[in-house]
Amino acid sequence: MESTPYITFDDVVFYRGRRAIFDGVTLAIPTGKITAIMGPSGTGKTTLLRMIGGQLKPDSGQVTVAGEHVPALGRAALYRLRRQMGMLFQSGALFTDLSVFENVAFPLRVHTRLPDDMIRDIVLMKLEAVGLRGARGLMPSELSGGMTRRVALARSIAMDPDLIMYDEPFAGQDPIAMGVLVKLIRDLNAAMGLTSVLVSHDVPESLSICHHACIIADGRIIGEGTPDELRQHPSEQIQQFLKGAPDGPVPFHYPAPAMESDWGMAR
Amino acid sequence: MMDRIAGLGREGLNVLASAGRSGQFLWRSLVGMPKPLTGGPLLVRQLYSVGVLSLAIVVVSGLFIGMVLGLQGYTILSDYGSEQAIGQMVALTLVRELGPVVTALLFAGRAGSALTAEIGLMKATEQLSSMEMMGVDPLRRVIAPRFWAGFISLPMLAVIFSVVGIWGGMLVGVKWLGVFDGAFWSNMQSSVDFTEDVLNGVVKSVVFGFVCSWIAVFQGYDCVPTSAGISSATTKTVVYSSLAVLGLDFVLTAVMFGGF
Repeated sequence: MESTPYITFDDVVFYRGRRAIFDGVTLAIPTGKITAIMGPSGTGKTTLLRMIGGQLKPDSGQVTVAGEHVPALGRAALYRLRRQMGMLFQSGALFTDLSVFENVAFPLRVHTRLPDDMIRDIVLMKLEAVGLRGARGLMPSELSGGMTRRVALARSIAMDPDLIMYDEPFAGQDPIAMGVLVKLIRDLNAAMGLTSVLVSHDVPESLSICHHACIIADGRIIGEGTPDELRQHPSEQIQQFLKGAPDGPVPFHYPAPAMESDWGMAR
Repeated sequence: MMDRIAGLGREGLNVLASAGRSGQFLWRSLVGMPKPLTGGPLLVRQLYSVGVLSLAIVVVSGLFIGMVLGLQGYTILSDYGSEQAIGQMVALTLVRELGPVVTALLFAGRAGSALTAEIGLMKATEQLSSMEMMGVDPLRRVIAPRFWAGFISLPMLAVIFSVVGIWGGMLVGVKWLGVFDGAFWSNMQSSVDFTEDVLNGVVKSVVFGFVCSWIAVFQGYDCVPTSAGISSATTKTVVYSSLAVLGLDFVLTAVMFGGF
């Protein structure tokens, strides 16, 4: 990685109840690049995004974003830092009582004192960027899943952030919607000079657009590098994940008592 | 045995943690009172959905309860030849007790449950999280206007309930059963004291407004963000609000009218 990291995790430990979600995660996310965070379900990928946004605090370790130690920030400073971030939630998280236009205009209306005609121009530009300028008058209930995410994407770039985080952007999308999102993530990152963090378990799509990728499993980073480096990685666990093999270091069977005892064949 | 003791301790800690969270939450909602310029429109919108939309149920209930009071009062009082005192009975019952209490119970069922479900659903669909990530405090933007709207609306609804109830009592007592209307109104006027009765009734409804709104918004904000969690939070809002209103009513009545 040549560029300076925009986000760093230094020996981060995080427990949910008695279960260690992160057990000493150290990670650097480079500035101006697309970094994919991949891993099986339930390994804490979304938790990682929530730590970057300061919605969760680690039990120990450092999380630094744009030079700021996030867990130590006060409420006001944290909200200021978040204005430099955009986040695309898995569900889109659009405000259901606002139209598409008003959803995208929301952060502009709250954080700026721009006149209405300027807000209108900016919103239409953002909607044009995601191909939904014509859908400005629709309500969220009238949108398909793919359109919802595109509107949410337009809203997350409304304030021209430095960092954008995508939480499972491809989950449950049809091939066309997925192709649109892949193109948008790549194009927006290049056009706006963003730092993008993409959390996903859709391997081919993520590896096709990212510059750098990390794989999380068992509470730690089990491999990172460029997509090509990961494809050549010697770890069986990484290869099982990348190829989607049903059995391997992550076993097909959940730990269970011996078959003989369950079926009454034990002597 | 040890497991039971540990379970009891865990339950106690959960209750304490929840009380602490609700206290912090209340403080931040109070501090987040909508500012006239930015929060004004948000507050007005909530006053409409919490207050104005509750008017129908409050007016209809008030009318019928006043009419029932008139009918029951006439039946009982006429045994003693004091049916002239029906105005006094209806007014005191409504202004001191039934106005604030029944309005608060109706409010918890109609507006409180709706507030909890709305906030809970916003949490489940990550709308509150997305607001936080946009640098917008959901407590200030979503919770505070709803809390203040409930707090402001309930006393007004209680007053409307009492007024409509008295009118209902008059309809039955005077128009239907033939009690002399001069006696109806003058008995009421001479026996209902503004400070002792009307103001104390309003104070009760202010307290109920505070508690019901707090319970409703907190249950929504603190719910488990699943369909079962929202359903449970909505039920809790109605149950806790009702119990709190009835319990507090006894305490307030004892302080205001019990000579303590």
